[in-house]
Amino acid sequence: MNRNIIVSFVCIALFISNISFAKDAQQLKVCSDCKTHTIKGAVKIAKDHDTLLLKKGIYKEHNILINKPLTIIGEEGVVIDGQKKGYIFKINSDSVALHQLTLLNVGQSYTKDFAAIYVSRSSNFKLTNLRLKEVFFGILIEKSKYGIIRNNHISSHAIEEAGSGNGIHLWHSSNMLIENNKVHNLRDGIYFEFVTNSMVRNNLSYDNLRYGLHFMFSNKNEYHKNIFINNGSGVAVMFSKFIKMTHNKFTKNWGAASYGLLLKEIYDAEIENNTFEENTTGIKIEGSTRINYRNNNFIRNGWALKIAGACYSNKFNQNNFLHNSFDLSYNSKLNDNNFTNNYWSEYTGYDLDKNGIGDVPYRPVKLFSYIVNKTPETIVLLRSLFVDIINFSEKVSPAFTPDNLLDNQPLMKRIQ
Amino acid sequence: MKKGILFLSVILLCYACSVAPQKIEFGKDVCSYCDMAIVDRVHAAEVVTNKGKAFKFDAIECLIHHLTEKNETDMAFVLVTDFLNPEVFINATEAQYLISEKIKSPMGANLTAFSSKENAAYKNETFNNWKKIKEIIRKNTYLNNK
Repeated sequence: MNRNIIVSFVCIALFISNISFAKDAQQLKVCSDCKTHTIKGAVKIAKDHDTLLLKKGIYKEHNILINKPLTIIGEEGVVIDGQKKGYIFKINSDSVALHQLTLLNVGQSYTKDFAAIYVSRSSNFKLTNLRLKEVFFGILIEKSKYGIIRNNHISSHAIEEAGSGNGIHLWHSSNMLIENNKVHNLRDGIYFEFVTNSMVRNNLSYDNLRYGLHFMFSNKNEYHKNIFINNGSGVAVMFSKFIKMTHNKFTKNWGAASYGLLLKEIYDAEIENNTFEENTTGIKIEGSTRINYRNNNFIRNGWALKIAGACYSNKFNQNNFLHNSFDLSYNSKLNDNNFTNNYWSEYTGYDLDKNGIGDVPYRPVKLFSYIVNKTPETIVLLRSLFVDIINFSEKVSPAFTPDNLLDNQPLMKRIQ
Repeated sequence: MKKGILFLSVILLCYACSVAPQKIEFGKDVCSYCDMAIVDRVHAAEVVTNKGKAFKFDAIECLIHHLTEKNETDMAFVLVTDFLNPEVFINATEAQYLISEKIKSPMGANLTAFSSKENAAYKNETFNNWKKIKEIIRKNTYLNNK
């Protein structure tokens, strides 16, 4: 009996000292034999703007609600295991930072978008150096602004499974910076829906089921120096305006409906200094207007460009088209786009005045590409003598291709 | 042997012409309207024409926009997925439709189909029938549905 009283007395004393500690030092340690041994418990007793320092160990917690400004930092070897039950972190406060944690096993559902980190109505948050494994959604952000997502590595196991979520998913947000992340084996690597004034740079997105990066209804965004390899399609930009895309690499997107870059209903974009290499289709363009394509490299694609209807006032200048099966496929009789001053490896003309510009125009559309458009199976005839003959005859006297669809000033040398 | 081949080809021929719903290969099939890969198992939709050609969609809003350009009486099947039964198609005319930010659909219309409006989770929401929902969706194009 006596002993019990002493124990409870010690407990109370410890509890009080713990509170005073939090007040002064503003740093709370969490570990299996600390006073606070759960993250949820630590969040509960922490004051605004405190720092939680997680000591090495495995924390089996899920649905950790962070409703005040906190910084959570992990020592090396900190693992938070959600045990496939719902979310791991739910953040709905401003100024929250998570740094150097490993989160794994997020719940899966058809009806709920479970995420390793769910951020809602928050501003000025920072998610850095995180490793998210076996996630459904990785980072899901709704109605937030001024966030930084940097140096994270997000992956899941979506190989053929469609029951997977997106790596970094933003919805109705603005002013985000997403850089130096690695995302793979997810549905979409990075997904923007109704997001504005945001920047995506230096990310690596590969082996994703659908798109490496996906914009929907998102205006005034930029993405630079990203690499997209072996996704369903590299990047899709749909129903968006004023997007800048420079210095990105789109490679190895192979498949019947695979594109390096898919543009659908977009206006006023800049596409410069990108490389499209070994894709079934480099860029598929539909319903897109006033887009400038400059200094891009199209290397060994099936189709470098596939233009399908309702594309006006686009400019393709100073690009390299190197060894593509088709440089351009076009399905309309009308042309309002400009294709001057590009380098085409298939160009067979000459330059008698030695000014670096070919003396005869180059026609990038082959007649055979029309036939393939109509009947895709005819692709087996590619490289046959018959196809070469019809292509040649079209080149000599164009009947099907728009008369003005040509490069009047094809360059003799590749642009370096 | 010859008879066998004949028999087989007849069967194949019949199979090829049959007017029936086709299964969607998630992650492989592409939406006939918006070109996006179909991955969402609770929002996929499909129409099959009287001649047996199937068009698959990643979202019900794409199906409705597709039908705007077509004649609905030419369709043998117009199918949508029941939200509570992933991958199970129901008849579009018999389904009940909900527009709610709680359930996001792939093309931003937040449109979802249910086999009935009697379900606990969405009790207080307004449901619409097929005719009404088509009018609502057609008022908005993708670019101004914000």
